[in-house]
Amino acid sequence: MAVIEAIATTYLEADAASVTFSSLGSYEHLQIRGGAHTDAAGAGYNAFHIRFNGDTAANYAFHYMRGYNGSNTAATAATGYSYIFCGLEPGPGGLSTAYGTAIIDILDYRNTNKNTTMIGLTESVSSSDYLSFFSVLWDDTAAVTSILLYSPSSASFVADTTMTLYGLNSAN
Amino acid sequence: MAAAFTVINHTELSGSAASVSIASIPSSYDHLLLKVSARSDQSAHRDTLNCTVNGDTGTNYSRTHLFTGTSSPSSYRNSGGNKWHDFMELIGASAQAGTFSVGTLWLPNYAGTTGYKQGFASSATTQNSNTDYQWGLQNVALLWSSTAAINQLTFDQQTGPNFVQYSTFTLYGVTA
Repeated sequence: MAVIEAIATTYLEADAASVTFSSLGSYEHLQIRGGAHTDAAGAGYNAFHIRFNGDTAANYAFHYMRGYNGSNTAATAATGYSYIFCGLEPGPGGLSTAYGTAIIDILDYRNTNKNTTMIGLTESVSSSDYLSFFSVLWDDTAAVTSILLYSPSSASFVADTTMTLYGLNSAN
Repeated sequence: MAAAFTVINHTELSGSAASVSIASIPSSYDHLLLKVSARSDQSAHRDTLNCTVNGDTGTNYSRTHLFTGTSSPSSYRNSGGNKWHDFMELIGASAQAGTFSVGTLWLPNYAGTTGYKQGFASSATTQNSNTDYQWGLQNVALLWSSTAAINQLTFDQQTGPNFVQYSTFTLYGVTA
């Protein structure tokens, strides 16, 4: 057994509205690494969202700081959302070959004594640039059993978008 | 082929503890990676995490922070510390129950004996609140002004006095 294992990789050969990981195994921590591009009409970018366990209620809070458009910085705190905002991904209004990068950690995702929290870094460099460092609370102590990643506003991830889910063990 | 990642230590607290120390860290890896999910019993929304290397309490620690707990990110620097104070976010007892801060620490070339040791930590205090300073995000660059190989890491709180039950610390050795 390796300490870090690739649980699943989704490589899109055609556009798809979402990517779902539903067999998460029995690890200590999870990590998502990916690159995504959206087909949101006319946009240089679109948001990148996640939900856990199919929960569409207002159980998510997120906090992020961001750098964008060359010289701007800002930060935002948001509560009572029905999804996780994970920053932006490039869209068709910018570079068609730009795939924004995401690295996201979900710690102790099976520990039912804890609400699930995660931390991540995403970027979109296209017609406009956007770097987001964020954290998330899912206000639920249930073990995470599925992860839905999607591009909102009736958009899809385009072909060549890739998402890999890793499991990190806490024993050799 | 050697495994790229090896678990050196995993600690999940069965009760509160003033500190967590990981000793006898082998020098056989290239880098160290730490994952933390922890909470303080300080009666505030936010505490912070400290780290002492090899038991060194001399004024050999420096750090540079990119931080926010409001709508305006900021940066600040500290040098001459006797440990890496505030190097990670740590949620406190006044915050939402059952919620733990998350953090990652990288210590590249920790076993080298030529250069000073540098590290990088990113962490967050996150809860169901958008009130200033009840949440926090920070990236921190770290310097320990010593050429000694790192063989021990000790974690405590800036205020505390304890980590609470279910706090976890997982240290990985990373082979290049």
